[in-house]
Amino acid sequence: MSSIIRQTLAMLRANLFSLPRRLAISLSMALSIALVVCVLAGFLSMAKGFEKTLTGTGSPSVAVILGGGTNQESGSDIPAGAVRVLEAMKSDIGVIRNAAGNLVSSRELVVPVEVRSNEGAGERTLALRGMEPSGPSLRDGVRLSAGRLFAPGAREIVVGARLAQEFPGFGVGDTFRLGAVDWRVAGHFSARGSAFESEIWADLDAVRSAFDRQGQVQSFRLRLVEPFALKTLQNALAKVTGTPLVAISEADLYAGQSSRTADLIRLLGWPIALLMAIGATAGALNTMMSSVSDRTIEIATVRALGFNRLPTFAATWAEATLLGAFGAVIGTAASCLAFNGWQASTVGANNARMTFELAVSGDVMLTGGLLGLAIGIVGGALPAFAATRLPLTAALRARGQ
Amino acid sequence: MTDSTKDEAYIALKNVRKSYKIGIEPIPIFSGLDLTIPRSDFVAVMGPSGSGKSTLLNMLAGIDLPDAGELRIGGNRLDRMGETARSAWRAHNMGIVFQFYNLLPMLNAAENVELPLLLKPLSARERRVRVGKVLDLVGLSGREKQYPAMMSGGQQQRIGIARAIVADPELLLCDEPTGDLDRKSADEILDMLRFLNRELGKTVVMVTHDPQAALYARRTLHLDKGSFVEENRAA
Repeated sequence: MSSIIRQTLAMLRANLFSLPRRLAISLSMALSIALVVCVLAGFLSMAKGFEKTLTGTGSPSVAVILGGGTNQESGSDIPAGAVRVLEAMKSDIGVIRNAAGNLVSSRELVVPVEVRSNEGAGERTLALRGMEPSGPSLRDGVRLSAGRLFAPGAREIVVGARLAQEFPGFGVGDTFRLGAVDWRVAGHFSARGSAFESEIWADLDAVRSAFDRQGQVQSFRLRLVEPFALKTLQNALAKVTGTPLVAISEADLYAGQSSRTADLIRLLGWPIALLMAIGATAGALNTMMSSVSDRTIEIATVRALGFNRLPTFAATWAEATLLGAFGAVIGTAASCLAFNGWQASTVGANNARMTFELAVSGDVMLTGGLLGLAIGIVGGALPAFAATRLPLTAALRARGQ
Repeated sequence: MTDSTKDEAYIALKNVRKSYKIGIEPIPIFSGLDLTIPRSDFVAVMGPSGSGKSTLLNMLAGIDLPDAGELRIGGNRLDRMGETARSAWRAHNMGIVFQFYNLLPMLNAAENVELPLLLKPLSARERRVRVGKVLDLVGLSGREKQYPAMMSGGQQQRIGIARAIVADPELLLCDEPTGDLDRKSADEILDMLRFLNRELGKTVVMVTHDPQAALYARRTLHLDKGSFVEENRAA
């Protein structure tokens, strides 16, 4: 081991062993860093959880056709004639057909409905999706967890598992008022935590008649032969005249929604975390300056004995970095305990509430931890330099410890 | 003040000038100081506060530099060395004994003594052996694991001396080494310094206010207003 490393380790050891003398201020530095890490991890885990929920929702083997010049279901309108033209195409349009030769598809309509929650938080807007009986089978990973699916034409609903837990009156067999009419809860479904679980499903015609939307179709879902068959479908759509239609994969539809909202969350979270980080860096600088001041005699003594400037710098910097790392570990551990799996909700697609779980993933912890470490490194650099400039005469003038 | 020939001079200050600025006004400390100390001498430097004792000691330690003149120790021109070279020179040629011991409170006795050895290419075992030897020499064998706070002032100063000599330097600089001790402890420390000088041949320069401490030196130099005004030799 080189002399410089031995000197650095000896000084670092002396620094760390003297920490109890500066316990309060050192802890406050670590905790302020932990707080910054927590705030950033909170935002990032929210973005990550939102992304995870939405990216786990769509399937690349399902195409969604939208009309009206939009790439979202809300605002989309597909004329009935366009659907009929598609259904009448006998050539290969990239879509799976059933035994009768018909397209495996579902016309759908989403209606926002106000529902009172059991948290006393007033009314929330939920998405009531009207679909054809084939609609549930077009969703990958969906499973009935209780009861049965809605009967064609009946005023029955099946409720996503998350909504069933959160809202009163969604028990199987209960009657629930949505809009101006009562609906019977036929069953609950789960969908591996995806955004589908934040929806209520019902028969398309029942929804149309209850909300006076006769003939309206917002989206037309089709099961593709394979994901690459989307191009074939898009070519077929180009032949449908009269209205501009777009076909995108269900996976892309939800990924697009997720990236917009997740980017917004990050855009909000990073500046707040960085502003707090600047404050924490100032705190770290102050703490380390007081650490250097506290150890003036010790630093000057070892320098008078012949220790170099470099170990003085390195040991002080390493102390700051270790305190930063300690704060980062506390912050990531606390955010993991506090946020991971925490249920949150936001207004998602179709202006309806979407519930998701915060996810403190490995990259969230790494990003938060690195920010905490950076605070220690940046905040410790100047005091470490100051430690090398201490006048050595301080050692000879010093009163004993 | 030259009582030795140049060949014998281990420490030689020639026409050394030093001043400190207080505000814009330079306050002169030395205006042409000359001093030679032969190898293996034991010199006590006395004088009133402000006479320049500490400045002289700082310069001999390479902590401070003269504004002009020559500062030569063991053939090395300290006044021409950079900061890093002076650090290295201190590590290999000099030990300092401080008035208030300056032990690192979070390190035990052995670790405090070991500090100068970290600057040398020695294995952990070699360092341990040398620390054991000097602790034995200062009469603190068996106290390796004790922390400074658990020791008396006299014991702490012995640790300070052990730290100063563990790397076997030729020069020992002592800044009021007994200034914080009772008479009995002070005499023990001074006996030890005399032993190091007479038996091990260390060159000792000791700044002190205590005339009784000065009696242990081979000669005493009196510094006043930046010049040596008197010299007493031990009987």
